[in-house]
Amino acid sequence: MRHKQGGRSAWQTRRMNKLAQSTPSTSLRDNPFLTAVWAIVWKDLQIEKHTRQTVSVMVMFSLVTVVMFNFALETELDAARNVATGLLWATILLAGTLGLNRSLAIERENQNIDAILIAPIDRRAIYLAKVISVTIFTLLLELVLVFVFIIFFDKPFWRPIVLLVLFLGTVGYVAAGVLITSMTMQTRSKEVLLPILLLPLVLPLILPAATAVGESMVVAPEASIIRSMVSLVAAYDLAILASGLFTYHLVVES
Amino acid sequence: MIQISGLVKQYGFNPVLRGVNLHVSKGAFVTLVGPNGAGKSTLMRIVATLLKPTAGEVKIGGWLMPQYSDRVRRHIGLVSHQTLLYGDLTAAENLLFFAKLYRLDHSADRVAQALKRVGLAARERDAVRTFSRGMMQRLTIARATLHEPDVLLLDEPYTGLDQDASALLDSLLKRESENGRTILMITHDLVHGLNLCDRVAILSRGKIVQEIANGEVSGSEFLDIYAAQTGRTVGMANKAHE
Repeated sequence: MRHKQGGRSAWQTRRMNKLAQSTPSTSLRDNPFLTAVWAIVWKDLQIEKHTRQTVSVMVMFSLVTVVMFNFALETELDAARNVATGLLWATILLAGTLGLNRSLAIERENQNIDAILIAPIDRRAIYLAKVISVTIFTLLLELVLVFVFIIFFDKPFWRPIVLLVLFLGTVGYVAAGVLITSMTMQTRSKEVLLPILLLPLVLPLILPAATAVGESMVVAPEASIIRSMVSLVAAYDLAILASGLFTYHLVVES
Repeated sequence: MIQISGLVKQYGFNPVLRGVNLHVSKGAFVTLVGPNGAGKSTLMRIVATLLKPTAGEVKIGGWLMPQYSDRVRRHIGLVSHQTLLYGDLTAAENLLFFAKLYRLDHSADRVAQALKRVGLAARERDAVRTFSRGMMQRLTIARATLHEPDVLLLDEPYTGLDQDASALLDSLLKRESENGRTILMITHDLVHGLNLCDRVAILSRGKIVQEIANGEVSGSEFLDIYAAQTGRTVGMANKAHE
């Protein structure tokens, strides 16, 4: 498949230069860690741009899940509204495992991870880059989900505090997910192992995140509850990111 | 350039390498042959910094591994039987990605030159998954040599190649060798292994059992030595070629 048609020309050379210069600034290029992070994120985004496989699969899966739940709860509209917050997080978690699996499957195909591992880069850069790319894909999914949930459940999912909690929750979930996916990458039953290991690990993240989102949507939200729940989510993010950054070299080199 | 002494690798209680000693001097082309399960790929993965040895020493350019793996990696290029390329990216994008990882200057020019060198300039904007096995292997060579490594490691590079693609790979490897690169290749293909290298080492049951300089023995004598050392007869293709 030729991604774009056309003969060899000055335009082609310009395009190559443009691609080469897509490492943003000189200061970034001087920092080996950030250069490696950017290179891997750039590569993941390019693959997604060509294939559109990760986000589209996550979105399709989520839509099917939401529609099915909507039909199942149709007779009890109030009940549906009450479980909307939990349903949103459950959908994100399940669709997120698809994104995580796909993101690491790219590295398993043709044993590409070896080519990254023999490059003179810090292993933490691989971890951080994978967290950034999967977070971008999951946030794109959430953008669609927020609209769908507003339509189906008539709840104010557009509120800034809800969006903030969604963002923080996604970062923590993906940070834990990349770590677990990398651990299970070489195992035979990786697709099964991922949710079994990941979902209990993110329970301390999802409980406060769901509480914060739920509280944000009541008529008179309690600010102190929201604040403490958001703090818990942020603390989880920091803890899991730090764990990932400190242990990732052990995960990929074992 | 590559110095391996008393290298041992065990998986649990299963020893794969049992004290390998091998020296590859700067600019030399050494081929490592051996039957399945001899430990060739394990040895290659250790030299490529992808595995840690259980015991023994591996030095590349004087740097001890795995302690100084980070310094060594910039000087290594790896060509595996797996392409280590992203099928959904174009040829140019694949090379640009690795140029970014290695922080190469003038990456666009380097990529263009590398693609030209392996005869893929006209396909630079095609997705790699549309390439034939031979084209992928040429692109793999371009990827592995993009950062001008001092050491080129080749792990079964002839796997899946037809005669024309093998001949093309031969010429590319010959050029890399003439450019002064130190090359360590493992292969099942004794014919290609013998034709290109300065020296052949036979690995059997986790040990180097014999080293022979190119031209020291005839092809048929080498096959007899190989059979005697490994206890295996060589493939019909190799015999037929002889």
